[in-house]
Amino acid sequence: MAQQGKDPNMPDRVTKTQEMVYETTVGEVMAPKMVIVGPDQTMAEFRLILRDNGISGTPVVENGKLVGIISIEDLINALTENAINAPVRARMKTKVECLYTDELLVHCIAKFSKYGYRRYPVLNRDNELVGITTKGGIVEGLLRKLEMDYEQSESKAAVVRSCLSLQKLFEDISADEVRLSFKHDVAGQNLKDAGKAASELKNVLKKLGICPKLLRRVGVATYEAEINLASYTQGGEIRAQVDKGGIMVEAIDHGPGIPDVEVAMQPGYSTAPDWVRELGFGAGMGLANMKKCADEIVLKSSVPNGTHLTMQFRYKD
Amino acid sequence: MKLREIVNLLHADVLVGGNLLDDIEVERCFSADLMSDVLGRTYADGILVTGITNPQAVRTAEIADIMAICIVRGKQPEAETVALAKQKDIPLFVTKLTMFEACGILYLKGLRGVAERK
Amino acid sequence: MTLKDLVKEFDLEVKAGSSYLDREVAGGYVSDLLSDVLAHAEDDVVWVTFHIHENIVAVASHKGLAGIVLVQGRVPEKDTVAKAEEEKIPIMVTPLSAFEFVGRLYKAGIRGAQANQC
Repeated sequence: MAQQGKDPNMPDRVTKTQEMVYETTVGEVMAPKMVIVGPDQTMAEFRLILRDNGISGTPVVENGKLVGIISIEDLINALTENAINAPVRARMKTKVECLYTDELLVHCIAKFSKYGYRRYPVLNRDNELVGITTKGGIVEGLLRKLEMDYEQSESKAAVVRSCLSLQKLFEDISADEVRLSFKHDVAGQNLKDAGKAASELKNVLKKLGICPKLLRRVGVATYEAEINLASYTQGGEIRAQVDKGGIMVEAIDHGPGIPDVEVAMQPGYSTAPDWVRELGFGAGMGLANMKKCADEIVLKSSVPNGTHLTMQFRYKD
Repeated sequence: MKLREIVNLLHADVLVGGNLLDDIEVERCFSADLMSDVLGRTYADGILVTGITNPQAVRTAEIADIMAICIVRGKQPEAETVALAKQKDIPLFVTKLTMFEACGILYLKGLRGVAERK
Repeated sequence: MTLKDLVKEFDLEVKAGSSYLDREVAGGYVSDLLSDVLAHAEDDVVWVTFHIHENIVAVASHKGLAGIVLVQGRVPEKDTVAKAEEEKIPIMVTPLSAFEFVGRLYKAGIRGAQANQC
């Protein structure tokens, strides 16, 4: 990441994520499809545009040219000042900080710190508006690229071994909301493919540079949860969310549910049928193992509706 | 000790990872047939000695960062188990010895067990 | 070696069948796969396992095993203890892992079954 007082062209400890930031351009991670508003539209119309598109701001474009930028903060101010029918032109910012498609992300990060705005129109070198980007969009784009590039990369050693690197990735580019989501269906009453979700999740997290210790904690807990889904339920799913706060893993099924959660959490307690035991499971240690691995664990269940297990893992070395 | 020494001590047939035998240094041994037992331990540079022949042995080894798998009692692993071990680059071998004998021999040679995760 | 000797030597906790510790131990068998135990365990061996459910007593009784040692401090279920008393099968517990306990048994001269030809 861009560091204060260091020449960004000569990083002394290059990690995979740092490499990406020095090599990736804005054009590669921007959103090319964008919503715009005209300067003669009213703030009331602008409000509808925001609502209908689920966004918080847009560039203002007149005759194909970028003339300003307007956001939800401007809308709030207009409402407060009773100016909801004022034209966008009267409420927009005319001095717009933009990015160029061929700019490297490392330079953008410097701009983010300097200006603190949340969204930046992206221009090509002919000064035409070609896209828009937010900090969140940049991180998502980076994560996508990281996953693709890792496949092609021969050097596994390029993956960072520090637990805090992922946290830093999110922190260095603070955003309204940045998240990597993962979902994997799990078949019930069948141990054949059980463990695939845990294995895939572990691999994705490994590519993001998470340290081996945290990888194992998440891997083991997710695997145990998945085995429970496969052994005792009619099927369900494993979900995971990665953001700057940490990693959350959920195991959700739709039946039959656990009659007594407290009893189920006791180490050694097992309702495993013989076919489960003969395949190497049913020792009654799954939930106990999950408890040891996760920083927090919540198990909610009702018969016959099903079970919802939530586990939280924090970044720490 | 090196994985090759273990393979020799147990007179094992190597099914996957013959090229890795000299690269892997083993210090500990997980002897278990129940995967949760394996997963409830702390991390160690270890091998798994087991009677499980289904692919879960490989999945467990991958999740727990276990370095190699030894199946006992001359039991042949399922085709899918061998395929998965190849895919994940985890050495897999089979010994005709019982689990008791295999563990006894390795213990006498200095391998140690793995503590429970606290 | 008798079960009593084992209890003393390895500081085992006796959970059931304390009246039947005079049995001679002919060897050892370690496995958590009931099908393997049923197929291969020999008479009068001591069975080392992670399982705590009452099926282990039925298996031990059926095979004429000398007794059962549970590893890693596992606590047998109430039903298991009750059944064990009924069937006269001693159940003992060690805090050690299976590898460590079997290693020590082996070192003390207790051996496993002969290698399988399957």
